[in-house]
Amino acid sequence: MRQLHAEWTKLRTSPGTKWLLAGIIAATVALSALACAAIVCRASDCGQDPVKLSLTGTLLGQAVVAILAVLAVGGEYSTGLARVTYTAMPRRLGVLAAKAAVVTAAVVAAAAVAVPISMLAGHALLPAQSFTPPASAVLRAGAGTVLYLGLIALLSLGLATAMRSSAAAIGTVLGLLFVIPILTQAVSDPAWQRHLEQSAPMSAGLAIQATRDLQDLPLSPWAGLGVLALWAAGALGLGAWTLLGRDV
Amino acid sequence: MRNLLHAEWTKLRTLPGWIFAMIAAAGAMLALGLLPGLQGSCGTQGPQSQCVAAVGPDGLEVSDSFTFVHQAMTGDGTITARVSQMTGQRLGPDGEQDAMAPWAKAGLIVKDGTAAGSAYAAVMVTGAHGVRMQHNYLYDKAGPAGQVTQTQPRWLRLTRSGDTITGQSSPDGVTWNTVATVPLKHLPPTVLIGMFVTSPQYAEAMNESLGAVGASGGPTKATATFDHLDRTGPWSEQRLGGSTNFEVPGVGFEPTDTGFTITGSGDIAPAVAGPAGAGVSITETLVGTFAALIFVVVIGVGYITGEYRHGMIRMTLAATPRRGRVLAAKAAVLGATVFTLGLAVAAIVVIFGQKVLRGNGVYVLPATGATQLRVIAGTAALLSVASVLALGWGALLRRSATAVTAAVLTIVLPYLLAMTVLPAGAAQWLLRISPAAAFALQQSTPQYYQVANLYLPNSGYYPLPGWAGLAVLAAWTAAVLGLAAHRLHRRDA
Amino acid sequence: MIDATITVTGLRKRFGPTTALDAMTFTVAHGQVTGFVGPNGAGKSTTMRVIVGLDAADEGSALVGGQPYRRLHKPLHHLGVLLDAAALQPSRTARDHLLWLAHSQGLTARRVDEVIDQAGLGSVARRRAGGFSLGMRQRLGIAAAMLGDPAALMLDEPFNGMDPEGIVWMRGFLRSLAAQGRAVLVSSHLMSELQDTADHVVIVGRGKVIADTSVAQLLAAASQGRVTVGTDDPAAAQVLARSGATGVTVTGAQTLSVTGMSAQAVVAALNAGGVTFSEVSAHRATLEQAYLDLTRDAVEFRAADGPVTR
Repeated sequence: MRQLHAEWTKLRTSPGTKWLLAGIIAATVALSALACAAIVCRASDCGQDPVKLSLTGTLLGQAVVAILAVLAVGGEYSTGLARVTYTAMPRRLGVLAAKAAVVTAAVVAAAAVAVPISMLAGHALLPAQSFTPPASAVLRAGAGTVLYLGLIALLSLGLATAMRSSAAAIGTVLGLLFVIPILTQAVSDPAWQRHLEQSAPMSAGLAIQATRDLQDLPLSPWAGLGVLALWAAGALGLGAWTLLGRDV
Repeated sequence: MRNLLHAEWTKLRTLPGWIFAMIAAAGAMLALGLLPGLQGSCGTQGPQSQCVAAVGPDGLEVSDSFTFVHQAMTGDGTITARVSQMTGQRLGPDGEQDAMAPWAKAGLIVKDGTAAGSAYAAVMVTGAHGVRMQHNYLYDKAGPAGQVTQTQPRWLRLTRSGDTITGQSSPDGVTWNTVATVPLKHLPPTVLIGMFVTSPQYAEAMNESLGAVGASGGPTKATATFDHLDRTGPWSEQRLGGSTNFEVPGVGFEPTDTGFTITGSGDIAPAVAGPAGAGVSITETLVGTFAALIFVVVIGVGYITGEYRHGMIRMTLAATPRRGRVLAAKAAVLGATVFTLGLAVAAIVVIFGQKVLRGNGVYVLPATGATQLRVIAGTAALLSVASVLALGWGALLRRSATAVTAAVLTIVLPYLLAMTVLPAGAAQWLLRISPAAAFALQQSTPQYYQVANLYLPNSGYYPLPGWAGLAVLAAWTAAVLGLAAHRLHRRDA
Repeated sequence: MIDATITVTGLRKRFGPTTALDAMTFTVAHGQVTGFVGPNGAGKSTTMRVIVGLDAADEGSALVGGQPYRRLHKPLHHLGVLLDAAALQPSRTARDHLLWLAHSQGLTARRVDEVIDQAGLGSVARRRAGGFSLGMRQRLGIAAAMLGDPAALMLDEPFNGMDPEGIVWMRGFLRSLAAQGRAVLVSSHLMSELQDTADHVVIVGRGKVIADTSVAQLLAAASQGRVTVGTDDPAAAQVLARSGATGVTVTGAQTLSVTGMSAQAVVAALNAGGVTFSEVSAHRATLEQAYLDLTRDAVEFRAADGPVTR
């Protein structure tokens, strides 16, 4: 509890935090609106999942989430503040848990603002369509996207704790998120492509945004988010293992 | 400056983390290039399954399939005919549909035998591009515009005179104008001369929204009626090339009272990759560039932010008070190192990666030596300038996490967006103005006006030529470095 | 107040081929300032990091008030720590830095304002800590160490970067902490900094304790009862040698150093021998001198050639 309070104060008083949280919202909404405005639809069907399209900005927003989470850890190691932190709070796993909790909470709060705005903007910008996704699917996509961004924060936090270098950690996170889909595109063997889409953190996790043609997805929406959760858990586990095993 | 370069080089090569990242960048490129997950069927299903492609007189792969009604002609000579009607059909999953392919072709041709890829020259009417004179697959010259209709027939004439062929057209058979006179070297004394009809594969985006998934396509056919022939028979008919997988129904010829009705499907043109083509390009081997990019971005950013983190910048600037020069030296050392490494790795990957792909039975479009060289050097330049851009971001933002993200978001994300989610129009704009434009350096198959295809980024076609793409990346780099230098001058270290 | 002596027993730690700690053993008692002295690289900072659980020792134990630091409930109430004054996130204000630390110990903002005043930071508390001088950062570090009103304090090189005024303030501050009954461990690589501050010193070199003694004893041992005589009479040495001195050394044009006699005996002997003299005084060794004598063999980083200057 005290650890939570301390980590919350630390996050709150870091001047970058509010800008990054605003950046998550701005990036998500801006790219979503842009994608919805740029699309040219034929008659009453855009051929695309309108909900997923209106959440395109998640691709950009997650990068800002990764910065926030990586800096929350990496910034302490680069300045030596980590030694002060673990002197004041010697229970390292408690600190990691508290940090993960407050960073994720902040990200989820920002995402909870960004996602509804993006969806409303998409609704306003996209022409009326013949396909209307069921309300439960829309709700799943929205709530799932908020969770998705929270899990990206945890993945980034875990990797940063394990690597202790902001540059290396952010490079790894962005590589995992952005490069695997590009590699997947290049693989023409459909079986391999499917395996990659099922296991890569971004393509699996974003399955949660789908509201139509669910049977064509490489895996079901919640299972996809589950795959991302496994990635996040793995990263946090790696971070915890490093934290316990190494001198600060 | 020499001392400064030497100092920066020493800094770069003495940090184990960066050496590791360089090796990792090279390793990622090699691994992804030489161990691709691609499998193909060429040559893997027994001796008959080799994918033999027609190669034109210029060494590039070509399509050479059409319905050919011909006779031999020795020495110089002329053929004249009138195309009085031309119609086209598209063969979709729902059956035939009347739709003329814009590049459906019907006309007269002189050809060096029936072997695929042999030299030719032809004058023709097209579905939507008027009269054309084309020869040896790559070369195309426009004549009078306008489609052939019943009321508007088109007269064509082809004349051989030694090694030059002249194509002419006329609206009435009286007033002729010359479309082009082209050289056709090493033509034997006896050639085949006659009429041809062909109609290429169509490809279209299923909707305008998608860059990637929504392309559909299929064969088309065209039927043309020839009359007023100035040569008498006998004529023989032959279907050249053509798909081995399926037969387009109705292809062939029928004599009429005054001439012939010929139906053809295929194309006489350079081969392209993408929805309307087959096979992969050599660029496929360079997919690891993206992984390598992440590593060089991290190195580029760390090369400058590392100095700020531990206050080493003060030592550096004390040793070299002219701050702009420090940045220039870092950019030069980093750029040169990454270029050298990129050149070596890209060369290995392109040369041996093709072998691996072909060994796996994948059909790789042949590329000329010059193209391969350009793609290799282009990849090295892309990585090198990108690392300097990352250095600029680092110097400007001073925080490694923010700078790495800025670099990845400006270079890799536009590419990903263009390839996956953005509408084709927006995708092409993004690839014109963002640093990702430089991926055009990796385009290995040229775009041909006279071949209908979806020339989209995800088939390896970029909106800008390679040098222009590099210029866009360089402009970004110069702008970011300039801002960074300005900031370095203005602010306390 | 909680009793919190620091007990270090048999610590060993290696970093690759380097032995950082080699059976380091000592105790820090309450009510006094203990100096932790040794040349650079002697293992002072490593020992302190092991005490607060940042580094793990290969062998041995470090206890604060009888417990391993990492098992303490609110550790800053037991031990106030200043390890590296530069360990700050530069964009956070001094007050906010103390605030999150306070929250980590279940303390409130009021306690933060108290320690800000105690450390004399009132006027700069709301400025970005990144703009602080090293001296101001040391004061901020002291404020952080005082947050939990701890029974023991452990400060690594607190005099570094302080101006003379700051050093005087720091000395007084440390003495007052000890007078309140707290255990205070202060490391330094300069013995002279501790001259008027430390009651007890633990001198270390190459990862082990060379001396663990009170300052008074250390000085007495270093002085060895030497007497300094100022005279221009060449007969003085002979007179003193005859009167029972065990050693007479000419240390200058007009000074002699005498051993084996008290100052009174020297005065009596000189008067009896009719030798004129300008000064007779008992030699008082400086702490620095005593320290250099002790660590002569334990200096890790000698000059590349030639002996260390004494």
